[in-house]
Amino acid sequence: MRKFFEKSYMALIFGFLYLPIAYLIFFSFNEGKSKVIFSGFTLKNYVNLFRDEEIMQALLNTLIIAAIASVVATVIGTMAAIGIQRLRKWQRNAVMNVTYIPVLNPDIITGVSLMLLFSIFGITLGYGPVLLAHITFNIPYVILAVMPKLRQVDSSIYEAALDLGASPALAFRKAILPQIMPGIISGFMMALTLSVDDFVITFFLKGVEVETLATMIYSTTKVRIDLSMNALCGVMVLVVLIILILANLPQKKSGNKKREERI
Amino acid sequence: MKNIIELKDIHVSFDGEVILDHFNLAIKDKEFVTLLGPSGCGKTTTLRTIAGFVQPQEGRVLFEGQDISKLPAHKRQVNTVFQRYALFPHYNVYENIAFGLRISKTPEEEIEKRVKEMLALVNLKGYEKRNVSSLSGGQQQRVAIARALVNNPKVLLLDEPLGALDLKLRKGMQNELLRIQRQMGITFIYVTHDQEEALTMSDTVVVMKDGLIQQIGTPEDIYNEPANPFVADFIGESNIFGGKMIRDYLVEFEGIEFPCVDAGFGENVAVDVVVRPEDIEILDAQDGMLCGTVETVTFKGVHYEMMVRSDRFLWKIHSIKCREPGDKIAMKIIPEYIHIMKKEAGTVN
Ligand SMILES: Nc1ncnc2c1ncn2[C@@H]1O[C@H](COP(=O)(O)OP(=O)(O)O)[C@@H](O)[C@H]1O
Ligand SMILES: [Mg+2]
Repeated sequence: MRKFFEKSYMALIFGFLYLPIAYLIFFSFNEGKSKVIFSGFTLKNYVNLFRDEEIMQALLNTLIIAAIASVVATVIGTMAAIGIQRLRKWQRNAVMNVTYIPVLNPDIITGVSLMLLFSIFGITLGYGPVLLAHITFNIPYVILAVMPKLRQVDSSIYEAALDLGASPALAFRKAILPQIMPGIISGFMMALTLSVDDFVITFFLKGVEVETLATMIYSTTKVRIDLSMNALCGVMVLVVLIILILANLPQKKSGNKKREERI
Repeated sequence: MKNIIELKDIHVSFDGEVILDHFNLAIKDKEFVTLLGPSGCGKTTTLRTIAGFVQPQEGRVLFEGQDISKLPAHKRQVNTVFQRYALFPHYNVYENIAFGLRISKTPEEEIEKRVKEMLALVNLKGYEKRNVSSLSGGQQQRVAIARALVNNPKVLLLDEPLGALDLKLRKGMQNELLRIQRQMGITFIYVTHDQEEALTMSDTVVVMKDGLIQQIGTPEDIYNEPANPFVADFIGESNIFGGKMIRDYLVEFEGIEFPCVDAGFGENVAVDVVVRPEDIEILDAQDGMLCGTVETVTFKGVHYEMMVRSDRFLWKIHSIKCREPGDKIAMKIIPEYIHIMKKEAGTVN
């Protein structure tokens, strides 16, 4: 009985989630223009995609914003988590609740409120505001990924490093950082995917000049729907796959490295 | 011998709660000093003050006569064996022990030599590559000791290092720690709440209660001449009761006058009297003045423990002679075994 439910659950997941994506990608290889009739295999949609300067610019914007935003958010989020961890219990709970709000808040509210904020201060929407917004909405996710790891770390290990002569900075790097690294990496990966993924917040803050892949696809599908969009989706799925694979790799690798690492 | 560590008028409080109350302590070089007291009395806080993890609100910490109160922990020449080992889980045994040497940028050959020496010292040869989480509690403890000692500290602080080990392992480790201390020729400041451990291992025992030092002395002093009822009660089992010092060398309790070896309390002064259970000799009822009835008898391995009811007090007696419950006996206490202490509030009788 349980097996049956497990199986049908899996079938439903694959059916509803992956079939449409597979369908989309399948037709990105279509020779003809139709999205229904497959008339022959080709890579020309992909070639067109990479020749399209607008799309390439959007891809570049997406990657740059995602990279900068997730790196900055990871650094700030990790430092914040360390600070929060040292607070007293009630203060910590209060701050953690505040941290959850942006996570639970609908994106559209975050987007609109940030847009209003920037316009109040007379800042022109565009690259800067998008980047700041991405950093902002990524930080809570990094904090939430790092906190559990930090809570597992025995605080006397940090003191042990100090006791053995390490300065506070070195003690943190040698004793704490390796232990919370898995949390930092997963926080970073989450920030990266969220950034690449984001449409709503970017949409409100991008102004007229900046386009990311998400906003690009949105504005393009309003005017033309051709198979290069399918190819774009294919590329995005590939990118996400690569991030996923990378996210699972470094833990094994860093485990080996740590053992050989010398101070 | 000179003092290697001195705590001068140290005052520590957390959230207004006084933890160490104007604490003074001088520790001599190469001594094995034990801080002994019930849980929560401030032993760990004292160690952390010496190590530099607690900044006292008042007072100074001296190291070889130099004021190190303002020196941060990582610059102090003392090392600590933490209560729960605090080994680095992401390093193997070798790297754990080498940590301090790597921080001080010791050459690689030197590190290898020293780590090998330490592994030999703590009987862990061949464990270099082992993951610390795969070690037993006793082995982790040895790694923690080696990791601290590899830096050649002049003072080693040990916070209940054997607390997590079972009884048999603990006895073995006590002997090993003593051997290591003698071999290295350095000062050990050792924290425990186990009075037997304190008495068997230490040169000097510091008995603490509620952030105050109750008594400092050799194990013999502490055991034989407890300074107050708390020390008497905490160090081994005791009969503690009220009495009256008639004059020097004569004390009265249970309505009987006993000769004793203490003097200087004045005449007709209320005092506390301590008699160890093993210092009471059992005689037949007609042969002594202090009589009582045996209430319970428990076999304790080496001796019998008897609770004996006299007119005013329930006595605990340890003896290899056995009596039955209900037997009438007399108790003989020779003057040397009667310990007189100044009266304190809150004692029985
Ligand atoms: N960082 C701290 N903050 C608040 N109270 C503390 C702190 N450290 C210790 N205490 C309190 O100080 C008292 C003494 O603690 P401790 O020195 O650990 O005692 P011991 O080691 O003798 O058991 C305890 O009541 C403990 O709750
Ligand atoms: Mg303690």
